[in-house]
Amino acid sequence: MVQTQVPTAASPAVTAIAPPPGRRAGSRDRRRAGALPYALLAPATIVVLAIIGWPLVQLVILSFQEFGRAQAFGQPAEWVGLDNYVGVLTDPVFWEVLGRTVGFAAVCVVVTMVLGTLIALLMQRLPTPFRILVSVGLLLAWSMPALTATIVWGWIVDTEYGVLNQLLRDGLGLAQFDRHSWLIEPMSFMGVAVVIIVWGAIPFVAFTVFAGLTQVPDEQLEAAALDGAGPVQRFTAIVLPQVAPILVIATILQIIWDLRVFTQIFALQDIGGIRGETSTLGVYIYQTAIAGGEFGEGGALAIITMAAISVASIALVRRMLRADS
Amino acid sequence: MRKIALASVAVVGVLAAAGCSAGGDGGGGDDGAEIRVWLVGTDTPDAARDLLVEQFEDAHPGSTVVIEEQSWDGLVDRLTTALSGSDSPDIVEIGNTQTPAFTSAGAFLDLTDHYEDLGGDDLLPGFVEIGSYEDAFYAAPLYSGARVVYYDTAAYEAAGLAVPTTLDEYVSNADALAAANPGDSGLWWPGQDWYNGLPFVWEHGGEIAVPDGDEWDAQLSSDESVAGLEQVQAVMQGASLAPVDANETNAQVGYCDGTTLQVSAPNWLRGSILAPADAETPGCPDAEATLGVYAMPGMDGGAASVFAGGSNIAISARTEHPELALDALEIILGEDFQTIYGENGLVPARVSLASTLGDDPSAQASTEAAANARLTPASPRWADVEAAGIMQDLFVSIAQGGDVRALAEQADEDIEAILNG
Repeated sequence: MVQTQVPTAASPAVTAIAPPPGRRAGSRDRRRAGALPYALLAPATIVVLAIIGWPLVQLVILSFQEFGRAQAFGQPAEWVGLDNYVGVLTDPVFWEVLGRTVGFAAVCVVVTMVLGTLIALLMQRLPTPFRILVSVGLLLAWSMPALTATIVWGWIVDTEYGVLNQLLRDGLGLAQFDRHSWLIEPMSFMGVAVVIIVWGAIPFVAFTVFAGLTQVPDEQLEAAALDGAGPVQRFTAIVLPQVAPILVIATILQIIWDLRVFTQIFALQDIGGIRGETSTLGVYIYQTAIAGGEFGEGGALAIITMAAISVASIALVRRMLRADS
Repeated sequence: MRKIALASVAVVGVLAAAGCSAGGDGGGGDDGAEIRVWLVGTDTPDAARDLLVEQFEDAHPGSTVVIEEQSWDGLVDRLTTALSGSDSPDIVEIGNTQTPAFTSAGAFLDLTDHYEDLGGDDLLPGFVEIGSYEDAFYAAPLYSGARVVYYDTAAYEAAGLAVPTTLDEYVSNADALAAANPGDSGLWWPGQDWYNGLPFVWEHGGEIAVPDGDEWDAQLSSDESVAGLEQVQAVMQGASLAPVDANETNAQVGYCDGTTLQVSAPNWLRGSILAPADAETPGCPDAEATLGVYAMPGMDGGAASVFAGGSNIAISARTEHPELALDALEIILGEDFQTIYGENGLVPARVSLASTLGDDPSAQASTEAAANARLTPASPRWADVEAAGIMQDLFVSIAQGGDVRALAEQADEDIEAILNG
């Protein structure tokens, strides 16, 4: 981000890369330089392909095979065509899980983005000491591993000894929260999961948006204020268009992360609740493939999930690009 | 030029990273073999671990035994990946009900020819059965833990109760304790704890699932099973204040703060309750004077059929040193090693060593319970039923007060779908 002073310039990067004017000598230079970067990039590309591409190819192959535990231990795997996909798509449990996952992710993404942006706006206006305090707090939440966070949140909402029930019961005198189970009702379970995930995701959004906000020139805001624009108008007319690309990227990342959420749900299911009524796609794939030993069917599930996530992200990117132009 | 410089830095970085990972491989093999043993949880005492290393390394100078402790959580998937990979451990402990998933898949070395050397008919028969597949012997018993009932003798005295001799008395005692002590659990029973529900099913004549030709026929919705499950529901709702959706870990917490007056649990709970107050998982050693124990009584007296928790032990089919692994396994199933289990309250893998449990009340209750212990269906897919959490979901829903027959019918359907899938 060197070209911060020209926020509206369409192609600063392109002009920087464009070759210097000149004819014969210039084109020979370009050709020589053209081969070298590719040669230098090749090893890294091969490593990336080997690490990311190869498992992906394996996954696709797996999803067309009858592959169980016996096959993992060396028996030949049988090709079954689209059987795994048909099996998954005709299973009502899958559609139930998919619907739950999409709804759950939507709530998580919206709440995370709204709260994250509000905190970023707050940070922009705070005096430095308090901004540092908020930043440190956000960083601590961010650096907490998801599993640890879930276990600690599990203690907070614990039925017998949880501090939440104790506060509601002893602090506010609400007797119905004595031994109240926060996880047994699916909606309540998902609510707790939303809190844990949003809590963990806000720091990323807040920091990213905050970084974007610092790029909005004060002069424009000042000028708008002089012209009589209120705070809401200034935000929607000046700030929002300039940080929109950042918001889109953050939103896409949140969608991807929230659609494939695993750790928080999986750990929370061990603490309480009913597994059959609270599984999301990530956990369902784990139950089918890893715990249940149906690797082929799990592979099909994973490919379908990947397709769903891609569709959601690509649609968003395209809409954003259209709006931009 | 700056760009090229940057690119080359990146390439060097990538090469360095690749070099690191390549350097991590290799090693081991040349100067003596290394036998890797996976033990699960902390049940195996340190004395036994030291004994294995010592005896093995004395017998095979130059070779070593390395014990790697695993956790029970997610064991089946960790074993699936580890045993099928190129870096497989040599010897693995595995939960007894999880064993068929691996014997049937060819993950373990066939030990049929070594059955006599490993202990022969002296080995716990139920565990040998679940460790065998299609007439071949793959996984030997390691130890068995018995489920017994711990209770507060002072609370029993105050309520004028005696140790129950039948299942109905066991239930009525729990109710009486709860009634006499409002706010406490007469029998602490969190909803996910399905192991403690099985004796009710079995004592009423029910089953989880029975073989029917090549298929399995789930039986939880039979009249007998439902009668047992309804009794479970009555106890959970009437006598227990445990969270209906919690799991059964850390039962000592409630016992120590006095809100649990009675609890059915594996017999190592005694150690957790009597752990020092400043231990990592603190207990309440002062409670020893009033800590009573008995074996859960059956329908018509005697000990009930309880679930036999415990472990099997097997050699990976991918071990590079089958001979050495076999020698190590013989030490593990040997008298010295197994005696240490007995002295620590676990039922040894050899029937002839049962006397090593001692004769204090806790050991007597354990021996009594172990004699009548039963296992879950010996299907290769039973581990998948457990992993899917079907039994946990069923008992949580029962604890919640759902319609028992409808829930059992749904569970039967789910179990058959997996076992016959």
